[in-house]
Amino acid sequence: MTAGILRVLEAGSTQVTDLGRRRGPRFGVPVGGALDQRSARVANILVGNAESEPLLEVTALDLEFVCDIDVLIAVTGADAHVTVDGVGRPAGQPVSVRAGQTVALREIQGGLRAYVAVRGSFEVPRLLGSCAPDSVLGFGGRLDAGSTLPLRQATAPVFNDHFSAELYSLDVPRLPSGFVVDVTDGPDIDDFGDTSSRLFEQPYLVTPKSNHIGLRMTGPLPERLTAGEVLSRGVPVGAVEVPPGDELLVLHRGRGVTAGYPVLAVVTAGSLDVLAQVRPGQRLRFRRVSAADAAARARADLVELDALRSRVRSVFSALDALANATTGRTLL
Amino acid sequence: MSGSPVVISASGNTALRVVSTLPDPEAGWRLVHHLARFVDEALVPGVVCVIPTYDAALVEIDPAEVSLERLADYLRRVVEELDHDRPLTERPRTFDVPVLYDTEGELDLAMVAAAQGIGIDEVIRLHSGPTYVVRCLGSPGGSPMLDGPAFPRPVPRLASPRAHVPQGVVSVAGRQATITPAAAPGGWPLIGRTPLTVLDLAAEPFVPYEPGDLIRFRAIGRDAYEALLGDRMAAR
Repeated sequence: MTAGILRVLEAGSTQVTDLGRRRGPRFGVPVGGALDQRSARVANILVGNAESEPLLEVTALDLEFVCDIDVLIAVTGADAHVTVDGVGRPAGQPVSVRAGQTVALREIQGGLRAYVAVRGSFEVPRLLGSCAPDSVLGFGGRLDAGSTLPLRQATAPVFNDHFSAELYSLDVPRLPSGFVVDVTDGPDIDDFGDTSSRLFEQPYLVTPKSNHIGLRMTGPLPERLTAGEVLSRGVPVGAVEVPPGDELLVLHRGRGVTAGYPVLAVVTAGSLDVLAQVRPGQRLRFRRVSAADAAARARADLVELDALRSRVRSVFSALDALANATTGRTLL
Repeated sequence: MSGSPVVISASGNTALRVVSTLPDPEAGWRLVHHLARFVDEALVPGVVCVIPTYDAALVEIDPAEVSLERLADYLRRVVEELDHDRPLTERPRTFDVPVLYDTEGELDLAMVAAAQGIGIDEVIRLHSGPTYVVRCLGSPGGSPMLDGPAFPRPVPRLASPRAHVPQGVVSVAGRQATITPAAAPGGWPLIGRTPLTVLDLAAEPFVPYEPGDLIRFRAIGRDAYEALLGDRMAAR
């Protein structure tokens, strides 16, 4: 099953993940997985993988790796300076890399997390059907310099001999810029009385205690007007809570699945991807939307990804035709 | 809807909270767990996962595939058909959990006793007396969520949660009790620790019990703790 090896030269803060462990929550394990789900899906789509295939999540720091076979990769998410053997290559597009060439992601900016998908993906261990790391269970984790990942598939390179000009430019949908986070009313909004509207009055500052479990932020805090201990119950990803202390807590995909705090509001699926790209020290605003608007947005996002998938398929079949045509220019 | 044994409400835009309204909490607990199993096995389109707890289940959805309203209607009809008198487990297994209670003041046992206005021995007696039903698996990492001991009053959570709670600790909060299978941050007062290893990532699922199984706590001394350290938790 293993066709080659990806060797990490500089690991930064990189882990292998996927879209998450859907079977986890009923066993008390968070769904986890790529925090920016949309960018992860796009990366896999760009290399022709199923969206749920394992890929690399690169947080803030530079990554450098080399593969011992020819591969097709795509980098998405936060802006990164992508080079192959020192030559700049585009992010958000499929990029051919020859065996032995060094791929680097540097200067990640405009966001916090970049994603690297490789056509055919990696052979990695799974727990409850997912390779997503779980720091509590001690499953998976960060890669180190020298770590190796088994590659499932080689992909013959596609290159343009004319000054290496790009052969295609796929129109990849981008995340909305600016940190506006859409929320719908939470199930326990009444516990906060009139103070719930404070959530929308001023920007919040994201603090360094933020991670994949949740983002902590300072700003005007709504106040819980009820008291008493609540029985533990399932808490949705995206739950906005006001725990004791002076910070607002927004739970992300690494959240514990049960909790006893009242839920003031819930971040929409699309805005969870926005939160995945917010850095500590940045400010964001919450915007109240209806559940119907949130669902419409989710459907529109799905349509965009479907359209991208069919564009990628067209490009791949066109390139195959060029590469195989007897009179055509060789692309190899 | 009058007469429905549940109230179903949105929990944000991607989840429904199904709460039992049955007067008997046991029946309500069985109902939400039967519902969770049904939805899991039926592979209902648009449902991402179900998290059944004590009296409620959280059903997470993909809003692009199904609307909250449609799924709520569907779940209401499913609930009508479920038999909440049927036991969750035909033959519950019993897990015997030895506990070195915190009589030396390393953890929070003295604080819990003081807040209850009872002695440490009484806390241990009340905690190790009953046979507990595993109500659900919670965080962190498949913790067996149990009803709390018959303390005079609910146990307050810690004002400031611990950044690191080691695996194997036995804790109480509110009207609940649990064992922590994996080290994690936590805000529950800790009253002791078991020498048993609960987590086994090579097994599926990775904890040995499931909702409906039974747990008994048994006080042991330091020597027995050392002797049992690292043994796997297994049904009797």
